Amino acid sequence: MSFDASTNVLGLAFITGVTTGGLSCLAVQAGLLATSVARQAETDVTAQLAVRHVVAQRKKRSNRKLTKEQRRSERAALATLAQPEKPKRRNAATPIALFLAAKLIANTVLGVLLGWLGSVLQLSPYSRAALQIGIGIFMLGTAARLFNLHPIFRYFVIEPPRFITRFVRRYAKNNASTVATPLFLGTLTIFIPCGVTQAMMVLAVGTGSPLLGAAIMFAFILGTTPVFFGLAYVATRLGEILHTRFLRVAGAVVLVLGLVSIEGGLNLMGSPYSVSNLLNSAAVSIAQASGNYQDVAAAQPDANGAITIQASNGGYSPNLIKAPTGKPVSLTVVTSGTTGCTRGFVIPSIGFQRSLPETGQITITIPASAANGNLRYTCSMGMYSGYFEFT
Amino acid sequence: MAKQVFSVKGMHCSACVMTLEGLEDELAGIRSLKVSLHKQRAEIDFDEKKISEDEIRKAFERAGYGLARA
Repeated sequence: MSFDASTNVLGLAFITGVTTGGLSCLAVQAGLLATSVARQAETDVTAQLAVRHVVAQRKKRSNRKLTKEQRRSERAALATLAQPEKPKRRNAATPIALFLAAKLIANTVLGVLLGWLGSVLQLSPYSRAALQIGIGIFMLGTAARLFNLHPIFRYFVIEPPRFITRFVRRYAKNNASTVATPLFLGTLTIFIPCGVTQAMMVLAVGTGSPLLGAAIMFAFILGTTPVFFGLAYVATRLGEILHTRFLRVAGAVVLVLGLVSIEGGLNLMGSPYSVSNLLNSAAVSIAQASGNYQDVAAAQPDANGAITIQASNGGYSPNLIKAPTGKPVSLTVVTSGTTGCTRGFVIPSIGFQRSLPETGQITITIPASAANGNLRYTCSMGMYSGYFEFT
Repeated sequence: MAKQVFSVKGMHCSACVMTLEGLEDELAGIRSLKVSLHKQRAEIDFDEKKISEDEIRKAFERAGYGLARA
């Protein structure tokens, strides 16, 4: 993914987090946190009551006849005991902050693993395309579920195993440490992702890059943080109202992400039916109809069948090359300080896939047998593409 | 003991499932409470002598969900 494309996806992930991510998982996570905090408060109250009881008992005893010495020691003991009874102002922000920090770190690490998993799965352009299209379909299903289009779309959410949810729930209830419990629970949230988080997780797999996978999860969880933090303080009723409204926004964002993923998969497959390829074809058709075709298809190989294209962070230039059918082409791809996904150069129909140097060039020979019809080339994410038109 | 299947309204994601299954620990008389997000149903095994259906329904409503016999 190029810098621009990555920024767009990370921005979308962040917006999804801000608008809905927090709300989507708020019910359970805020509940866990509240349970933990409440448990702590309960422990404090119990301790205070116990102290009060002992103080009362001692006061009763002190009313009895005691020697001066005994009275003095009793007063000193009462003073010591009464000390911790002073009401302490509870700082609810600390456990929430710890919880969210742990959640952010755990999900970023998860993003690294998911991105790595995506890179391992990157066997061939076609399998990668299939993965991306699958991810896109999952996202479209998630969007349809968020729009509540039909009960069947409920199956587009993966329910975590019951023993995990039960363990998390009971751990929250039974452990009262103000530091360890929120940290542990925040980490455990990776095992109970909500639907929107799951969509982000598959997006992280689709990047095929541990760094980008981590960045997506980080951006998304960071986006959820302010909403989550804020709503941890307000009534759940308000959360419910916002939840309903924001579900539609989440649906729209996930829908866009799903379409982007399918578009990438189609490009990676070399399909002429991706939106960018259809737009290219339409541009050519319009140009042909108006007699300006040469303007659109300006690039052609030289007399030796050699042509050079530039792979920059913004795509490939030229992205449309007109060449004679049945003649091999020597294609040189040049990079100059390129850091984006255009460095992963793929020609699906001849099974070519290579990572380009940041600055440098590679030359590929397109055999005569492949020089017919339209031959597409694309980046490894399917975000940028171009094609040869053999005529 | 009674085992009854109910339809649940208002569940959005697995977080809701977890919230509702948490009622199993909170309500005395409930032996097991299994919630399905896909089917929007809850299978509740409870002791009628200790808790009534109405009390369970009210607990679901307090958590923000609707409960009715399937």
